[in-house]
Amino acid sequence: MTATPARTPKTRLGKKKMLALLEEREAKRGLLIAFEGPDGSGKTTQRKLFTRWLESQGHRVVTTKWASSPLVKPLLKARKKVHALSPEELCLLQAADHRHRLEQEILPALWSGAMVVADRYLFTSLARDAARGLDLDWMLHAYSPLFWPDLVFNFTVSLDTSTSRVASKRTPKFYDAGQDVTDLADPISSYRAFESRVIQEYENLSLIFRFVTVDGERPIYEQHKRIRQLFQEGRRAAWGEWNVEALTEWLEWAGVPKGEHGA
Amino acid sequence: MARKAPAPATLIALDGTRDADLRRSARALRQRLASRKVKSGVSWWDASGVFFEVGLGKRKHRAASPRTLLLLYAADLAFRLRWEIRPALAGGQTVIAAPYLDTAFAFGEACGLSREWLTALFTFAPAADAHHVARERGKAAGWKPSARDGFAEFSSAVVAAQSPSFDPVDARRKMIACLEAAARRHRSRSVI
Repeated sequence: MTATPARTPKTRLGKKKMLALLEEREAKRGLLIAFEGPDGSGKTTQRKLFTRWLESQGHRVVTTKWASSPLVKPLLKARKKVHALSPEELCLLQAADHRHRLEQEILPALWSGAMVVADRYLFTSLARDAARGLDLDWMLHAYSPLFWPDLVFNFTVSLDTSTSRVASKRTPKFYDAGQDVTDLADPISSYRAFESRVIQEYENLSLIFRFVTVDGERPIYEQHKRIRQLFQEGRRAAWGEWNVEALTEWLEWAGVPKGEHGA
Repeated sequence: MARKAPAPATLIALDGTRDADLRRSARALRQRLASRKVKSGVSWWDASGVFFEVGLGKRKHRAASPRTLLLLYAADLAFRLRWEIRPALAGGQTVIAAPYLDTAFAFGEACGLSREWLTALFTFAPAADAHHVARERGKAAGWKPSARDGFAEFSSAVVAAQSPSFDPVDARRKMIACLEAAARRHRSRSVI
């Protein structure tokens, strides 16, 4: 986890100054790259390879993983263990985890110029919770103000590949297998039934949010080369206006990092 | 004029800024209901233990923004609705939800979050049939983060510990104003 930069006490900026500060930070900021896809699609392998490559290029890299915030992870872990979560509770706790990591890890790291590589981002929750029957609009509200990554790699695999890769390593856990909604006692059967819906939701999200698709069935090195190429080809765009609300709220709440307010 | 007793399976929202006031008001409300032969139960804040566990965590990990805290509040409320409020209502009981939505709205608005976001977030929670505000009594001690305190106290202390721009005194004043405005809006619907 990245340490939050030192804050100047009681730093309060007007909206205009805040926007000027964002514009000034633009050239120095890091990029947020998200790795998404169903279980067994190979995204973690590719995320590790990509992280090493970025580091070899001289970038400072911060990795953030799904449901890993020190505030929410213990809450989720304890409740998942006893199968005590409804789809709404799971979604809300994951949204809290996402918000906490965004404010405590991701934005401070980006602000300081580090590259942030996310092993799953909010799209994981959107896909899984939509597969659980929750309303997409409500979920987007829970996650708003949204903060979009600069690049989203979506790893696609068939249901058979996903199931065989997962089953060869471990028995899927209760919520990963969607047993809370399928009511199937066998984790693998439940995983297949649930993951087919998740894959469908990822396809829908991919169309809405324009992910960069990576064929997770291709050889590992071939995928890695394509990811590097896509990353290098991708033009560095400015922080989109849709990200401004999340950024200004973070700056207002946590204060402007020391020495960054032009005073 | 004698007030009408609530019908069975009534959800009564009891909101306030301090846990002690909520507990006192809930007790009084239950006594009044009992005197009218209405069986009631109370659904308290943090029935799921989410905030208790956050309070147990390391102080450096406890830093959270108002939005994060409201998401946790919503998760706790979803738990209370599933295990306490909806089953009791289905069984024909009157339930006092202490606190319910107005406390969350008051905290959110006092922290500058939009009413639109708060409304959308809590759409899963049914509207209460009656509303009450537990007003602060006497001089309140300082708000400290403690799992024994209520949501507004706990959350204000958590935010104040990290945010340089958060003024707990001002936030509390705004919360009280929000709750009073909500009480005015709801007055006509109160059945107690």
